Amino acid sequence: MKLNLYKQKNTYFLIFFYFTALILTLFVLEDFGIHIEEKFHRLNGLFWLSYISDVFGFEYLKQVTETKMSGIFDYTLNRPSYFNRYGIVLDLPAALIEVIFNIDDIKTVYYLKHFLGFSLFLISSFFFYKILEKRYNNFLLSIIGLILYLTTPRIFGDSFLYKDVLYLSFFTISLYFFVQSIDQLNYKNLLFLGLFSSLSVNLRIFSLLIPIIFIFIIFIKNFFKKNLVEDAKKVFFYLIFFIIFLYLFWPYLWSDPLKNFLDLFRYLTRDLIDVKILYGGDYISNRIVPDIYILNWIFISSPLVLSGLSFFGILFYLYRFIKRFTKIKSELIYNDLWRSAKEEKDFIIFIFLITFFMLFLLLNAPLYNGWRLLYFFHIFIIYFAINFLYLLKVSFRKKSIFKALYLVISFIAVVYNFISILLTHPYQSIYFNSILNSKIINNYEGDYHGVAAKDFFEKILEIDNKNNFIIAVASHTPIQRGLEALPKSLNKKFNIVGQNYNLADYIFKNNISEVNSDLIKKYEVPENFSKIYTKKKGGLIIYEIYKRD
Amino acid sequence: MKLFFYKSVLVFFLFLLAFHLSYGYVSKKIDYLINEKVSKNSIEIIKEKIKNEMKVALTKEDYIKPEDAVLINNFLDKIKSDLNKNK
Repeated sequence: MKLNLYKQKNTYFLIFFYFTALILTLFVLEDFGIHIEEKFHRLNGLFWLSYISDVFGFEYLKQVTETKMSGIFDYTLNRPSYFNRYGIVLDLPAALIEVIFNIDDIKTVYYLKHFLGFSLFLISSFFFYKILEKRYNNFLLSIIGLILYLTTPRIFGDSFLYKDVLYLSFFTISLYFFVQSIDQLNYKNLLFLGLFSSLSVNLRIFSLLIPIIFIFIIFIKNFFKKNLVEDAKKVFFYLIFFIIFLYLFWPYLWSDPLKNFLDLFRYLTRDLIDVKILYGGDYISNRIVPDIYILNWIFISSPLVLSGLSFFGILFYLYRFIKRFTKIKSELIYNDLWRSAKEEKDFIIFIFLITFFMLFLLLNAPLYNGWRLLYFFHIFIIYFAINFLYLLKVSFRKKSIFKALYLVISFIAVVYNFISILLTHPYQSIYFNSILNSKIINNYEGDYHGVAAKDFFEKILEIDNKNNFIIAVASHTPIQRGLEALPKSLNKKFNIVGQNYNLADYIFKNNISEVNSDLIKKYEVPENFSKIYTKKKGGLIIYEIYKRD
Repeated sequence: MKLFFYKSVLVFFLFLLAFHLSYGYVSKKIDYLINEKVSKNSIEIIKEKIKNEMKVALTKEDYIKPEDAVLINNFLDKIKSDLNKNK
C-alpha cells in the first residue's frame, strides 16, 4: 500500500489540533458560569427519561429519575410538561449519564453538559472542515475555516452553553451529509442525512426546511441529469428515514405522532416570547424588530475582519449567481446556476442562507438576546469568508507581491479571534467588536444568559465576610439559578428576594430588562444604595453591585 | 421547462420581497405604533404619570387657577342640575 505522506501529515495535524483543544477546554471549563436555563434543561432531560422509563417499564430508573426531579425547584421555572416540545438531543443523554453514574453534585452535572456541548461543537467543526476540503481541495484554507469556525468569540463562548451552538453543531453535520448526498445520492449518505436532519428538527422546528431544500435541489439537478424516477425513489427513502428518526428520537411524538406534531405549530404562537428588548439604546418589542436587526447584530458582535471577508464573499457569490442566472440556457448543462460540483456547493450554502434569512424576515420572527437564535448562520459567514479568501488566492496567484495576501488576511483574522477570546474570557458569549465605543456598547443587551451570576456571588463573598446575604435583582435575570455553580456550603449563605429592594443588603444589576426600563422603574436601584463594584469587559458592563448605605 | 421553472422561482421571490417591503413594512409600522401607544407598558406609564401629577398637585397650594376653578364648578353645577331634572 502506498502511503500519502502529505495527507498523513494533515491527519496528524488534525489529531494534534483536536487533542490540544480538548485539553485546553478541560483547563478553562469551570471558568464559565452556570447559565439561567440549565435548570430547565436538566429538568427536561429527567422528565423525558422518566417518561421513557415508564413506557419501557424500567421501574427503578423511573423512581430514581422522579426523586431527582422532585429536588429541582425554582419559582421562576415552568414545569417541562408545559414546554414539553423542547428537544431531547443533549438533555436526555446527559440525564441518563447523571442517573447511571449517580452524579449528585449538580455543579458536576452542569459542567459535564458544558463539556458534552463543546465536544459536539468540536465534532461539528470536523464536518465543516470536510465541507471546505471538498469544496476547495486545499488543506490550508480548510484549516483556516476550521479555526475561524471554532474561535469566533461569541460562538466559542456560547458553545459551552449547549443551546444555540448545539443547534449550529447539528445543522453543520446535517449540511455535510446534505452536500454529500447531493454529490453521491446513495443510501448510506441519505440515511445519515435523515438522522441528522431529524435531530436538527428536534432542536429547532424550522429545520424542516432541510428536506424541502433537498427536494428542491434534487429537482433542479434533474433538469440536466434526467434521472427523475431513480432520484425520486431515493428522496422517498430519505423522507421515510427522516420521519422514522424524527419519531424515534422525539418521545414527545410517541403518544400521538400526527396530532402532537401539528400541535407544535399550534402552540408556536402561544410559546413565543413577547418582551421588550434593549436595541440601540431603545426598548423595542421583540415582536416588531427592524429588518436590519439581524445584520446589525451580526456586524457588531462578529470580528470585523471576519465580517468584511464574509460580506465580500457573499457579494462576489451574488455577482456570479446573477451572471449565471442571466446566461441560463435550456439545453446546455454548462449554462446553469452552477458550473461544477464545487460551485454547486456554493449554490447549496447560498440557497440555505437566503431561504433562512427570508423566512425570518418575512415571518417577522420574534428575536431576542441579540442574534443567538440565528447562530447557525455562523456556518454561512465562515463559508463565504473562506470563499473570498479563495478568490484572493486564485486572483493573485501570478502576482508575486500579492500572492500571500490571502494568508496575511487569514493570519490577521485568526490572531484577532484568539486575542478577542483571551481578552473577553470567560464572557466570549457576549463579545462585541471594537466598532462600538464604551457608550454605545451598553445600548445592546449584555449578559442575557446570566453567566456572570457565579462571578457575582464569588465577588460578594470576597468583599464581605458575613454569613448571610440578602440579594435583590434589578434586572430580568433569575440569578438564583447561578447559585448552583457554588459549593452547597456557600450557596446557602444567599437569599434572593427579587425586586424587594427594601429587604436587601446588596443589589445585582445588568442591562437585561423585559420592560421599557426608561419608563417603568421596576429595575431602578433605590437611592439608599451605592454602586460599589462594576464588572466590565471591553467597555461592556457585565454587572454592577450596589450596597445598602 | 428549466427556464420556466427558474423564472417562476425568481418571480415568486421578487413578489415576496416586494410584498415585505410594501405591505409588510406598513403593517410593521402600524404594529409598532399600536404596541407603543396601547400596550400594557404604555398604560402603566400613563397610570404612573397620573399618579405623579396627583402627587405634584398635593404639594402645590393652588393647583387650579381661580378662573378655571369657577368654570369647573359652574360646569359641575350644570351637570348636577340637569341630572336632578331628569330623575
